[in-house]
Amino acid sequence: MTSHISEHELIRKAQKGDERAFTQLVKHYESLVYSFAYKVCRDSEKANETWQDTFVNVYRKLHQFDGRSKFTTWLYTIVTNNCRMKRRHRKLDLASVSIDSATSVHDHPSTDDDGQPVQTIPSWKETPLDSVMDTELRTILDEAIGELPYDYRVVFALRDIEGLSAEETGKILKLSIPAVKSRLRRARVFLRERLNPYMTL
Amino acid sequence: MKKKIAHCSDVLDHICEELDTKLSTAQCRELKRHLAKCPNCTAYLDSLKKTIRLYSSVPVKRPPLKARKQLFAVLKLKG
Repeated sequence: MTSHISEHELIRKAQKGDERAFTQLVKHYESLVYSFAYKVCRDSEKANETWQDTFVNVYRKLHQFDGRSKFTTWLYTIVTNNCRMKRRHRKLDLASVSIDSATSVHDHPSTDDDGQPVQTIPSWKETPLDSVMDTELRTILDEAIGELPYDYRVVFALRDIEGLSAEETGKILKLSIPAVKSRLRRARVFLRERLNPYMTL
Repeated sequence: MKKKIAHCSDVLDHICEELDTKLSTAQCRELKRHLAKCPNCTAYLDSLKKTIRLYSSVPVKRPPLKARKQLFAVLKLKG
C-alpha cells in the first residue's frame, strides 16, 4: 500500500465484504499490530492472543470504521482495548513500582568558586546504533518498559515508539491532553532512571 | 507558563513534554536561558532524548508465521 488512496480503497472493498481486500489489510498491518501489542501487553502469548483478537474485531467491526480518524488510530484503539481486557482478567500487571521516584535533578546544584553550577548529573555515552545494540542493553530496555505500570507504558508506546501525537494518543486512550503529557513525562523520567547506570560514562 | 522559570525542576516539568518541539515559542525562552547555563539540565535532557531514541530504535517484532493462518482459519477465509 503506497498511498492513502489505495488504503482507502482497500478498506472500502473490505467493508463491502471483499475477502481478498481484507487479507491484504491483515498482511499490511500485521507487524504493526503485533509489535505494538508485544510492547504494551508484555509477553509473546498475550501479544499473540491480542493480535488475533484485534484482527477478529477488525473483521467484525470494519463497517463501523467511518474514515474520520486514521485507520491506524482505529487499530491502536482496538489493540489497547484488547490488552487492557487481558490485564483485567489476569491481574498480572499491577506493578507496585513507584512512578514518582525522585529524579536526580535538584533545584540548588553545587557551584564552583565563580558561582557557576557544577555538573553533578553524569553525561550519557552516545546511544548505540540499532545494529550494534548489545544483548545486555536490549534486556535492560525490555525489563524497564516491563516495570512501567500499564497506564504509563501504553502512553509511552503510542507517543515515543509509535510516534503518535498527544491528540491522537488522548483520543485512543480517552484521556485529556494534559493527562497524556503528564503520563508521558513520568514514563520518560522513569525509563531514563532505569537506564542511567548503564548509560553513564 | 505565567511565572519566570528559575529552577531545574521547572525546566524538567515544562520541557519534558515538548522534547520533540523546537522550543521557539516565547514561553520557551526562559527554558533556553536556563539550559544554556545549567550543565545538569543539559545533561539530563540529553539523557532523556537518548532514552527515547533507544526505545524507538528497537526493531519491529513480527508475528509468528502460523498466526495469520490461524486467524484466517478462525474467520473461515482463504487467505
